[in-house]
Amino acid sequence: MRKFWVAALVTLAPLYAENIVIQNATIMTVTKGTLQGSVVIKDGKIAEVGEKVMMPQNATIIDAAGQYVIPSIIDCHSHIAVDGNINEGSVAVSSMVNIKDVINPEDIAIYRALAGGVTTANILHGSANPIGGQTIVLKMRWGKDAQGMIFEGAVPGIKFALGENPKRPGNPPFSRGIRPTVPARYPATRMGVEDTIREALNEAKAYKAEWDEYAAKVARGEHPIPPRKDLKLEPLKEVLEGKRYVHAHCYREDEILMLLRVADDYGFKIRTLQHVLEGYKVAAEIAASGTGASTFSDWYAFKIEANDAIPYNAAIMQKKGVLVSLNSDDAELMRHLNTEAAKAMKYGGVSETDALAMVTINPARQLGIDNRVGSIEVGKDADLAIYDKDPLSDYAKVEKVLIDGRVYFDRESDLSGRPAKALEKQKLIDKEKQSRPRPSGGRRPIG
Amino acid sequence: MRLPGILMVCALAAGAATNNSVLIRGADVYPVTSAPVKGVSILVLDGKIAEIGAKIALPKGVRLVDARGLRVYPGMIDSATQLGLSEIPAIRETVDTGDLGEFMPQLRALSSVNPDSEHFPVVRIAGITSVITLPAGGEGGGRFGAPRQYISGQAALIHTYGWTWEDMAISGSAAVYVQFPTLGARGGRGPLPESIAELAGGTGATFTQMLRTYQQEVAKLAEFFDEARRYQKAKAANAPGLVRDLKYEAMLPVLDGKLPLAVAAATPRLIHDAIQFADKQHVKIVIMQPRELGSAAAELKAKNVPVVLGMVLALPHQQDDPYDQAFTLPDEAYKAGVKFAFGTFDNEFVRNLPYQAATAVAFGLPQDEALKAVTINPAQIWGVGDQLGSLEKGKSADLMVTTGDPLEIQTQVKHVLIRGQEIELTSKQTRLYERYLNRQ
Amino acid sequence: MRKLVAALLLPWAWAIAENPRTLAIRNAKIVTVSGPVVNKGTVVVRNGLIEAVGENAPIPAGAWTIDGEGMTIYPGLIDSLSTVGIPSLAPAAGRGGRGQAAASPTPATTPATAVAPAAPPAKGPEDRPATTSWVLAADEIDPSDRRIESVRSAGFTTAVTFPARGIFGGQGSIIDLVSAERAGEMVVVPAVGQYLAVSRGGTAFGGFGAGFPNALMGYIAYIRQVYLDAEHYKLVKEAYARDPRGMERPEYDRALEGVLESKRILLPANRLVEMDRMLRFAAELKQPVILYGMREAYRAEAAPLLKKYGSPVLVSLHWSEPPRDPDPEAERTMRSLEDVDQGPAAPSLLQKAGVPFALYSDGLDQPRDLQRAVKKAIDAGLARQDAIRALTLSPAEIYGVADRMGSIAVGKIANLVVTKGDLFYDHTQIEMIFVDGKQYKPAAEQPADGGRGANEEPGVSQ
Repeated sequence: MRKFWVAALVTLAPLYAENIVIQNATIMTVTKGTLQGSVVIKDGKIAEVGEKVMMPQNATIIDAAGQYVIPSIIDCHSHIAVDGNINEGSVAVSSMVNIKDVINPEDIAIYRALAGGVTTANILHGSANPIGGQTIVLKMRWGKDAQGMIFEGAVPGIKFALGENPKRPGNPPFSRGIRPTVPARYPATRMGVEDTIREALNEAKAYKAEWDEYAAKVARGEHPIPPRKDLKLEPLKEVLEGKRYVHAHCYREDEILMLLRVADDYGFKIRTLQHVLEGYKVAAEIAASGTGASTFSDWYAFKIEANDAIPYNAAIMQKKGVLVSLNSDDAELMRHLNTEAAKAMKYGGVSETDALAMVTINPARQLGIDNRVGSIEVGKDADLAIYDKDPLSDYAKVEKVLIDGRVYFDRESDLSGRPAKALEKQKLIDKEKQSRPRPSGGRRPIG
Repeated sequence: MRLPGILMVCALAAGAATNNSVLIRGADVYPVTSAPVKGVSILVLDGKIAEIGAKIALPKGVRLVDARGLRVYPGMIDSATQLGLSEIPAIRETVDTGDLGEFMPQLRALSSVNPDSEHFPVVRIAGITSVITLPAGGEGGGRFGAPRQYISGQAALIHTYGWTWEDMAISGSAAVYVQFPTLGARGGRGPLPESIAELAGGTGATFTQMLRTYQQEVAKLAEFFDEARRYQKAKAANAPGLVRDLKYEAMLPVLDGKLPLAVAAATPRLIHDAIQFADKQHVKIVIMQPRELGSAAAELKAKNVPVVLGMVLALPHQQDDPYDQAFTLPDEAYKAGVKFAFGTFDNEFVRNLPYQAATAVAFGLPQDEALKAVTINPAQIWGVGDQLGSLEKGKSADLMVTTGDPLEIQTQVKHVLIRGQEIELTSKQTRLYERYLNRQ
Repeated sequence: MRKLVAALLLPWAWAIAENPRTLAIRNAKIVTVSGPVVNKGTVVVRNGLIEAVGENAPIPAGAWTIDGEGMTIYPGLIDSLSTVGIPSLAPAAGRGGRGQAAASPTPATTPATAVAPAAPPAKGPEDRPATTSWVLAADEIDPSDRRIESVRSAGFTTAVTFPARGIFGGQGSIIDLVSAERAGEMVVVPAVGQYLAVSRGGTAFGGFGAGFPNALMGYIAYIRQVYLDAEHYKLVKEAYARDPRGMERPEYDRALEGVLESKRILLPANRLVEMDRMLRFAAELKQPVILYGMREAYRAEAAPLLKKYGSPVLVSLHWSEPPRDPDPEAERTMRSLEDVDQGPAAPSLLQKAGVPFALYSDGLDQPRDLQRAVKKAIDAGLARQDAIRALTLSPAEIYGVADRMGSIAVGKIANLVVTKGDLFYDHTQIEMIFVDGKQYKPAAEQPADGGRGANEEPGVSQ
């Protein structure tokens, strides 16, 4: 009988969150300095951080001697894990669409991001529209289903886009005589982009008034028919009410300033400016508006609106009081945001802590999830990345990544699992080959 | 040893004081082709490295650079860029790579290089002193919708500083760039994700059809070489009535084995075929931007064919591939004994060349091999190993003075010399930085 | 009334001498599906209905008798998702895409990339793009569709035909595959549910020319908006009906009427991720749903997920095949290898888990192809009787018509398939088919690979 219970406990054990201790590491907390010591994880949360810690019962020990632990990275601009086109570009205002509806939890990019130390990503609609679709924050919980990837409680967002991209459909290519010209979609200039945004917010304001009136009637005990719910205007109503974050893709200083003033006119704040490559030119204005900036470290001149991009953008904005994060907007770049942070040290002399903050606590604050992630502090989620060297060195690589106190990436396991995977695959390949006769083989002669 | 030095100095002092002479004192020198030496000086005279040693007297009229606590490395070489030929990729008018035409070996990248491209100051600041600039287009090489291009033109090896392209030229013609026919490997960023391939209904062609097309294309390429050879023969025999043909003229140094082909070939199968082709044609070859080496590595080594590796920071090509596939490719090349250099194939990332190399080190490549791959290896691959790529007496004074390991992002480059001339480390970007940092 | 009708029909009696109103097949093995197998018995058909079944079923006087010695009688097969009967929705070439009843929901054979829309591109949900929700397949049935005969020859007596076009195609109808003069004769149930799609075919980067919606999330948002509008429309209509005075009348919206009339919806799902997405979506829309396609239903997570929601599913018989003439050095993904290797195991896994499912032809219309496809499922673990059920009683249950078809039972419609040999064995021949009690001979089979495009490697079998 006792054997049965022991057996049951042993098998049930993995169902309960394990206690984990990461010990003997250099711990870069970001908000509370760097120390040599250990991190204790209980129930998926950071329970203790210190040079010496209390060892809990039955804890799994991760010996991280010589290694570095940082809060795992938060990418404030990503398009991974989405099924279908990232843009609903057919209409200028596509706020009715929602990234949440098309999450693809099986996108290998999620695993590869994990292998690069990223555990949280702000998944955005593309930039083909002045007002794009609704956005969502995901944790890279590889193996879970779509619901399981969602960062619970994160404030929902919406994408705005300024500059060249949203006006491209307004300037379709000339007909080549073969294919009929694609019809142009308003807006075709920056002026039109501003107008489109103002018009939509105007509509949303009227929509909100309708619903406020309805609510008032109901409060008075009446039973009116509710107004028609309009999925395009609902999220914009939420923007006006401060319940939905606006993440605005922008490049040039004129459009940055324009959007800040439009938001003022409508009584809300832009949460983050994305890319914002000329943000350094209007850093004071951005700082004054309390808007965050999420930018590239050193991309430049790939299109004309990026012509004045400088790698010192992050440093200048930060110096002038803007909350700055560095993002990837790219499935490859997101695998080394730690070195992107190091670039902020190179260009503009940002300190190590501030640089690391740009990919951890700063994006957490921008996304309103800093109560949960972004630094190694007691009570926060145990979202951690362990590197074999100083993460701000480009010689470092990720050894392990934890989310909610569970190891989701382990380089050793990844490496050791490869032969078995390859074997399994080869078995299926061979099986398939056997069930069909081979075409005449041999190398064919070349010219 | 000292006497010739002094004599040389005196000889120079007799002439006007030049600005391509300098004494760098007190640095840790990393020659690359020999062991590092700590706390020594480098004397540059008339654009060349005159001496490296512990005590070098400062000749009259020669500037002194105090480099105590700093390091000196050879200037870095990027083996694949479009510097000077492309300014803003999204604006076609600023792009001069990838012309039309199937066989265009006569196109010269060199004389279309804009010495005042904004990219040059940016990469100089990063310590990149010379680059190969390619006549080929971006990913895939050709223009969209145009017939397939086999030979794109002559790549040039240039310094990243000079008044004119003549000034900048190291090898006006360093290689003839060939887009080898492709089979299976999609050009550019890799295979289509399955869902999209499904929607697109696949490529539409069966493998048998693709193979046939491929073979036809390779045959066509071979035919062009045959035509060039016929021209060569006729010319050598002073055949009467021979009309000068610029295309075939451009092929002569290739056929003579003096100029290599730079061949873009992505997969082991294509690399193999390209090597076989070069063998058959008796021409030299450099493989550009392979995505995988696999079974071709041994052949590359056996035939002494060097390779220019593209971006190390790249995604795996297939869904199931290991996540670090591209990171480990350089080490794979090294272990197979293949000589390689790094190239960024993209102007925007040229300044990050050393960091590409660093990633390869993180995933196994020995440190000094990484450094060689951005200095002496490219110099040798492009035929200027006696002039560039290391800190040795007599070589061109292309060097950088740094605060530390140049492959580390946080390292600052303090001085850059190109042909002995100290480069002002400013660019439009640094000027914008200064201006807006100080905005009141 | 009946006498009048009989009198009117009498002159036609000669014409339908081949199709006597009362017939009996005896000495045959009868696989009833709803009951035990009868090793040797008789089925009696009168007026298109099954009058008697059994070992000793009495044969009425004057009945046309068929000797079924050595034959087996099955319920006619039901194709649970089809476009047969609507000729304009026939696949343009050979095989259609998996998980779609037609190769391309756009009519005729316009290539996907060069769509020239008749209407201007939609500017938003209010333009109701690609929406014909009020359409009933029954109203579009054309009895001259050649596919009726060819599909029938494969043993199908019934098709659940959908107007599979656009986003809201309209409602499907159950039709019996008789060769009729008027479409109305074929219709068994005119409306069984709304056909929904989340793409329009064509390229993923279909560009802005085609109008809204363009991305998958656009389709989902559009469908959601339509259901919100329908709810609101209903509210307003009901309020107006209660008391119109002083109230602006609601605008008549036939698209919403069509949506409100549909008692269930069909949504496509091939990947596990899509199944999860669509089930969640249907629950949000508060619509009973049938998922179709189900390519990844073999995965371990699939059956428990489907069980949780309790929705029935339609599994395509168009199993994943390895690519023809592949590049020998091209890498296949593990997932695509598994799709080929384990795809046909899906039905048996669903069966074991107790998930209600039916199989459908998904464009396969040659008896050989269908037989081979079903055999693959049987080889992968589906019991033969369960395979038969998945093409007979299960689809009947899913569509709520198990009281009148799907098995050989007294009172049900006389849809029968008579074979020499057991169904889905390699050398089994279909001898005759009965639809609504009318007898048909199977048509001669098309040659292999006919019309599917040249096979580059002769000698390589499928």
